[in-house]
Amino acid sequence: MTVIRPAVVATNLSGVVETPELDSSPFRIDADGHPYVPTGDGGIVLGVRLGDSVFATDGDHVAPGACLVHPDQAARHALTSYSCLGNTVTVRSGDAAGSRGVVLGKRGELGRVIACFSREVLARMAPSDEIVVRGHGQGARLEAPIHERGVIMRNLDPAAVALLPVTTDDDTLTASVRAEIPSRVVGNGVGRPVEQWDLDLQVDRDTAPTLGLSDLALGDLVAVTDLDVRHNAGYRRGWRTIGVVVHGASPQPGHGPGLMPLFCGPADALVARVDRSHRGINEDRLLKGTA
Amino acid sequence: MTTMRSGLVTNSGRLVAQPLRGEVWPPGGDRHAYRVDADGESFVLPGMGGVTLGVHPGDRATGYASDHLEPGLSIRHREAGPNWALQFLSCIGNRITVRSGPAAGARGVVVGQHAFVLADLTEADLAEVAPGDVIDVLAHGQGLRLDDHPDVVIKNVDPRLLSSLGVHTRDDGRLGVPVTATVPAAAVGAGAGMVSEFANTDLMGAYEGQAADLSLGLEGLRIGDVVALEEQDHRFGRGWRPGWLTVGVISTGHCRLFGHGPGPSSILSGPADAFALVDEPEANVRSAFAAIPQEVPA
Repeated sequence: MTVIRPAVVATNLSGVVETPELDSSPFRIDADGHPYVPTGDGGIVLGVRLGDSVFATDGDHVAPGACLVHPDQAARHALTSYSCLGNTVTVRSGDAAGSRGVVLGKRGELGRVIACFSREVLARMAPSDEIVVRGHGQGARLEAPIHERGVIMRNLDPAAVALLPVTTDDDTLTASVRAEIPSRVVGNGVGRPVEQWDLDLQVDRDTAPTLGLSDLALGDLVAVTDLDVRHNAGYRRGWRTIGVVVHGASPQPGHGPGLMPLFCGPADALVARVDRSHRGINEDRLLKGTA
Repeated sequence: MTTMRSGLVTNSGRLVAQPLRGEVWPPGGDRHAYRVDADGESFVLPGMGGVTLGVHPGDRATGYASDHLEPGLSIRHREAGPNWALQFLSCIGNRITVRSGPAAGARGVVVGQHAFVLADLTEADLAEVAPGDVIDVLAHGQGLRLDDHPDVVIKNVDPRLLSSLGVHTRDDGRLGVPVTATVPAAAVGAGAGMVSEFANTDLMGAYEGQAADLSLGLEGLRIGDVVALEEQDHRFGRGWRPGWLTVGVISTGHCRLFGHGPGPSSILSGPADAFALVDEPEANVRSAFAAIPQEVPA
């Protein structure tokens, strides 16, 4: 598949590994009104890898790796906006200094970049480690016939397209996806810019079977019908958005596994093929070259 | 236990009222000025924050050259803690009093929540209010329970408003609620995943004047309309949940920003089979406000 790079500019972005935060009361409230203490919400999470089920842990918004932020809020939004799937991350300080990882995705609302590292590197990393992301991808577009039919690309390094189970013919992009779900399943993230904010899917272990999401894994691709994410995420009949799952489930109402949009367009130009043997982003391929 | 005119049995006699202070908060902007709509068209339009004139309960919610239209006064406290108290504890139907400026002494009523507490005044009084004027809200209503409807959570509503809205217990035990519209879950935009004691649920599909593929048939909503939201559980936040239902009062109007729109503040939420919705084109707080007694709750 060809990606047009109309002079896409790369920027080196500074950040730090997030230190998880909680309020003075440790409790959040789940959809049934029960209090819980959230774990794994930001910072470094160990033992969760791409390909794991989004329902495998009892944490909250658990991401497979490290969350990256910046202490200045404007710089944090920029770090989030310009970081794209496939961008290289370099650790600058701490025990893992010199090691590299790769951007998987991002989260709203204050903005976080989710980056994957090998188990060995992640075990040596700690909150406040300085990192640099080579931000590259926003502004890239698909080859002419597909672009002209209105299909856009976001949050994706052109070099990382090869990691995705997508194909193109003359004027159509087709993606293998775990499931295709209606836009009403999308909660937190609607009405927000997808360059800075992922879309939480309002699904848990109990509701997953009705949506074809029982086997949903970190790194899977999912399609959403009637969703247009070109200028904020919102309802538009006949459009489709396809994204990658970047974090796990949440007990909070309106939250759940996070989908970072990658492609959006009229449904006849952007096709989703629901595939029982779907394989999303492969960790070994994503991290190839970082060792 | 208190039995209302409607026959609803509540704990309203055990609730306390508190005056909470805020101020009319000015509209905000940034040096880039523009936002973009669903089609990528840029706009700079008023509506959010400050004093927004000419739109009151009963008036159309959409069709204005406006973004995030907040009718009347937009009220907050400048410090975080007192502001959360003001936002979380103010209820639809609560009385407000203007405490400074040329309109000092004027009385109004809370219409709902958004990024601010929103309050309606007469057009003559509104004309005299400016950002920075001090407002007191007599907060009363959070903690309300419906004794005969244990599965239904009620919030954000002055107990005295309930009967006037026609909410009642039916012979079959269900909660009867007159509504002007039933909103599909596909309309729920920004606000999903947030707490339901603050702000509201932006409804998409009401972009009057824009493309047909954006419409969910909600362009006729009015400020103050009581509406039902299908497949929404707002008891402890705001989430999509098949088999559940939420009732809200439209407190904000026209949006151009995509994924946003006229929004209901949530007042009732529970299993869908706990409710019996009644189509009532006049289900609007406008007439209900007039029926609220003026005196301070004892």
